[in-house]
Amino acid sequence: MNFFEILALLGNGCLVSLSVFLLTLLFALPLGLLICFGRMARFRPLSVLFRFYISVMRGTPLMLQLFVVYYGPYYLFRIRLSELGSNWLFLAVIIGFTLNYAAYFAEIYRAGISAMSAGQYEAARVLGMTRSQTFFLIILPQVFRNILPALGNEIITLVKDTSIAFAIGLIEMFTRAKLLASEQVSLLPYLVAGCIYYFFNLAVSFTLSQAEKRLSRYRIK
Amino acid sequence: MPLLEVSGLSKAFGDNTVLRDISFSLDRGQVLSLIGSSGSGKTTLLRCLNFLEQPDGGRIAVDGRTVFDATATQKLSRAQRRENQLTFGLVFQSFNLFPQYTVMRNLTLAAELAEKERLRAARASREEIRAACAAVQERALDLLAQVGLSDKAEVYPCDLSGGQCQRAAIARALMLSPQILCFDEPTSALDPELTGEVLRVIRALRSDERTMIIVTHEMEFARHVSDKIIFMADGVIAEAGSPDELFGAPQSEKLRAFLAHSRHGEEA
Repeated sequence: MNFFEILALLGNGCLVSLSVFLLTLLFALPLGLLICFGRMARFRPLSVLFRFYISVMRGTPLMLQLFVVYYGPYYLFRIRLSELGSNWLFLAVIIGFTLNYAAYFAEIYRAGISAMSAGQYEAARVLGMTRSQTFFLIILPQVFRNILPALGNEIITLVKDTSIAFAIGLIEMFTRAKLLASEQVSLLPYLVAGCIYYFFNLAVSFTLSQAEKRLSRYRIK
Repeated sequence: MPLLEVSGLSKAFGDNTVLRDISFSLDRGQVLSLIGSSGSGKTTLLRCLNFLEQPDGGRIAVDGRTVFDATATQKLSRAQRRENQLTFGLVFQSFNLFPQYTVMRNLTLAAELAEKERLRAARASREEIRAACAAVQERALDLLAQVGLSDKAEVYPCDLSGGQCQRAAIARALMLSPQILCFDEPTSALDPELTGEVLRVIRALRSDERTMIIVTHEMEFARHVSDKIIFMADGVIAEAGSPDELFGAPQSEKLRAFLAHSRHGEEA
């Protein structure tokens, strides 16, 4: 079996990895902002609650969290996993990744928001802008620009982390490579999978640097 | 009737009383300069007028309408709060332009949002909203011409000099036609050679019969541009009057000392 045959066989798993990646980003980016709001809330019980959430999500392995989400319905409510349908596995992976990554994103947002000067809020206020107008039109664009490098780090980690989904049995690229490797008694499938992850991340880095370039048409004095 | 009436205004941060029983009035078209050493409470007073700080006591009325009353119990609606807010305009010491928007967008953003909100509430047609936005654009261009920045409309704030930033910020504050325009040390963040252009713009606004309140350390400027000067010390109005009265014949020892200091350039 040569490089390209393996590539073709990994193709399907690659698509699964890609969808885990994209769906996690799609849900975790906005969820992270909501968690960040909770964490920064002036109402102390709320802020403590979200601080605890973030600390648990960051302090325990993602793999363990995936197991909890996947088997949770059975252990908590005695719902048989077969009753949850054939998509439950994929869904559990997306939920687990989203909950985990949103916690990391929340802390990055928080750093960005804390770094904003009071002057920007005050300028918007004296111009009669509402709180939501101020946040979404004045603050968030600047925050996003400032946190993009940190966000990029997490996004690249996410690409590689998608392989952890194999732990609960999702047939993504890494799982396929593992199967092929033992079947062929060869390291080549791992090598090919490694190449795909690498080029995937190269594309992600390129997209991020383009975004950074676009956003740096202005400087924040 | 005076345009602005402030009576018994007080403000403390914790145990630290910053403003004590501040009362003064200002007529339409008058320019008031607030002077005093750092920590005397002049910036806090300006921030109270602009609702950036909530006074602990006192009352503020503009054109006979109460915009702040510490004894009021009922909460104001959002629209009322906004109307009160827009009675005043504020130019900050550090400009606070929005760095992600061009100079033009800095001017038009808030005005367009306000117009759209108003017209949508009145169920105006899309054409009317578009026409209103076009009018906002036109007004912005006029104001940019007035502050000498016509050629900078599409430039980002990071590519402007400090003086140009401050002039853009002045134009932005004028966009919403506040009844009283306030300046918080408008030249303190600027290099000495750039203060002139900003002071010239402020002086030119005066001829437009605008009511203005200026917190400044530029004594010469205050003397020539103002109708009225308030000298603050330790959170109270230590002396108030015409520029000739305060600069020509200062009554208190504090003001005499302050003026002597600033003449030696120590306050600048």
